[in-house]
Amino acid sequence: MYRIRFHARGGQGIKTASRILGTAFFLEGYEVQDSPRYGAERRGAPIFAYVRASKKIINERGIINKPDLVIVTDDSLLLLPIAGVLLGVTERTVLLIATDETTEVWKKRLNLQGLVLSISTQAAVESHAGLPLLGVACVGAAAQLAGAISKSALEEAIHEQLQPLGKVIVEESLAAAMAAYDQMEPYARCTTEREDPSADSYESPHWIDLPFEDARTSAPYIHAAATTFNVKTGVWRTMRPVIDLKQCNRCALCHIYCPDGVISLDAKGYPQIDYQHCKGCLICLLQCPTHAIDAIPEHGQEGEIS
Amino acid sequence: MKEGGFKSIKDLPSTHMLGPGTPICAGCGALEGIKIFCDILGEKTVFVNAAGCMTLLTVYPFTPFKGSWIYTAMASAPAGAQGVRDALDLLIRNGRLRPDEDLKVVVLTGDGTAYGMGLSSTSAAIYRGLDFIYICYDNEGYGNTGYQFSAATPHAARTATSKGPEGYQRYKKDLFSIWAAHKPAYVATVAGAEPLDLARKIEQAKDLKGSKLFIAFSPCPTGWHFEPAKAIEVGKLAVKTGVWPLKEYMDGKIVHTKVPLSKGKRLPVEEYLKLQGRFAHLFSPTRNEKVLEKIQTGVDAYWEGVV
Repeated sequence: MYRIRFHARGGQGIKTASRILGTAFFLEGYEVQDSPRYGAERRGAPIFAYVRASKKIINERGIINKPDLVIVTDDSLLLLPIAGVLLGVTERTVLLIATDETTEVWKKRLNLQGLVLSISTQAAVESHAGLPLLGVACVGAAAQLAGAISKSALEEAIHEQLQPLGKVIVEESLAAAMAAYDQMEPYARCTTEREDPSADSYESPHWIDLPFEDARTSAPYIHAAATTFNVKTGVWRTMRPVIDLKQCNRCALCHIYCPDGVISLDAKGYPQIDYQHCKGCLICLLQCPTHAIDAIPEHGQEGEIS
Repeated sequence: MKEGGFKSIKDLPSTHMLGPGTPICAGCGALEGIKIFCDILGEKTVFVNAAGCMTLLTVYPFTPFKGSWIYTAMASAPAGAQGVRDALDLLIRNGRLRPDEDLKVVVLTGDGTAYGMGLSSTSAAIYRGLDFIYICYDNEGYGNTGYQFSAATPHAARTATSKGPEGYQRYKKDLFSIWAAHKPAYVATVAGAEPLDLARKIEQAKDLKGSKLFIAFSPCPTGWHFEPAKAIEVGKLAVKTGVWPLKEYMDGKIVHTKVPLSKGKRLPVEEYLKLQGRFAHLFSPTRNEKVLEKIQTGVDAYWEGVV
């Protein structure tokens, strides 16, 4: 059975990407599971999708803890513990990263023993369609790495899944997927199937016994105010708004318009951004009448959350 | 708040009541409005939240609210509000709560609930004269589940369940008129992108006795397909082009609180439509003049009826 795990940020089209890969496996006669993992997360938040494919009946369910192939469409996730990219990664796991750094850099940085491959993000970022193409490019690469999917099955799967989005997107996606397919040819079949473990070798779940409590204890009451403060949504950010206070005329519009309320005013009325929580929507940048706010890529920045 | 109400942006509350760190999308137009509601209504509130995007505000063990919050099924938030209101009244009557400890009961639902499956329980609550505030954040579709159409989806918009060449074929329900026909204490349309108008309306209505209902225009970057940074711009253009009329109903009268320029001088609706991917099929590969004109004519006809 192939076990393939996708890591992306919400909005990069990874749900569709995993569906395309699953469909392509299906067209090649595999039994397939493909499931995005939904949480209370949105655009920019780390998200996951899983594809299992096997010629036999698949009895496994749930998240993939021991992947054969891990696909990462946003390399900033690799340094983010909550994204869990390296969960269950061993020397036989292939790691495919959409990145502009070399694979050697990542191998060294993360002390990885297994095969690390990369797809350049440059083309996707420069083209109009942008980031969602990274997902479909990774699917093309994955198809080659698994060695079980022909170009024609990949093409059919892309047509089937992307038809409603129109001809242009289908064509751009096909081009991106096929280019990645060809690029990965030297590594064909590097991702190998791992046999299903027999049922008696399954690790039992780490259950925690919960005693029966009365409703006032066991119901999901929250007794404290504004506890979301402990959730650092700053990790969602790909661009960081930066205020040049010399140009600021203290109009307070950024403070008013920030939907998350993370721009506060100091005693003199100057705005300050709470980077631990700022999601990087950049409404402040567009609304600032004096153009005092700039956006810099979060990638490689120093700071509390980078 | 300064005496005499909200005269400029600077009069809006300078500290926010809603905590950061919610799982709501970056650039959410609904949160934009709700944030201001919370700032002005203060801590002494109970939010009765029907299932929808905004139920994600509170995901155990996290809540952004400083006041109370309770969750209900989609169709029954006003019924939940009745229960909370009755309980508060009884506690006060029995002396277990001082009158100054009373809380405002605020229903929070999306348009799927307000325009659709929750309309019956809302109608009944207004009919009973329930003393509550209703905030509908209207993002014109089922935003929390992948953006399927709702009864609030505008004509020609593309949704996950209206993918045809001309998008959604039906027309947005006129919820303001439906609610106003019940003759409640107050009904208003508002927009987070017009914070001053929004703040004035909340201030105007919050201490009235009876049902106070708001429909908040809520641009949705995820469902409408525009960059999160443009959420305010989209909201402002909806008002300027006349697509989203800002108005209020009180004492049997409807007043428009912000009237866009007259026909000819007013920005054409396409300035609003073309910012959004859900209307992209009206502009490319070829302009769909027929549908664009139909939308423009609808807006023009509305404002002709106003004067």
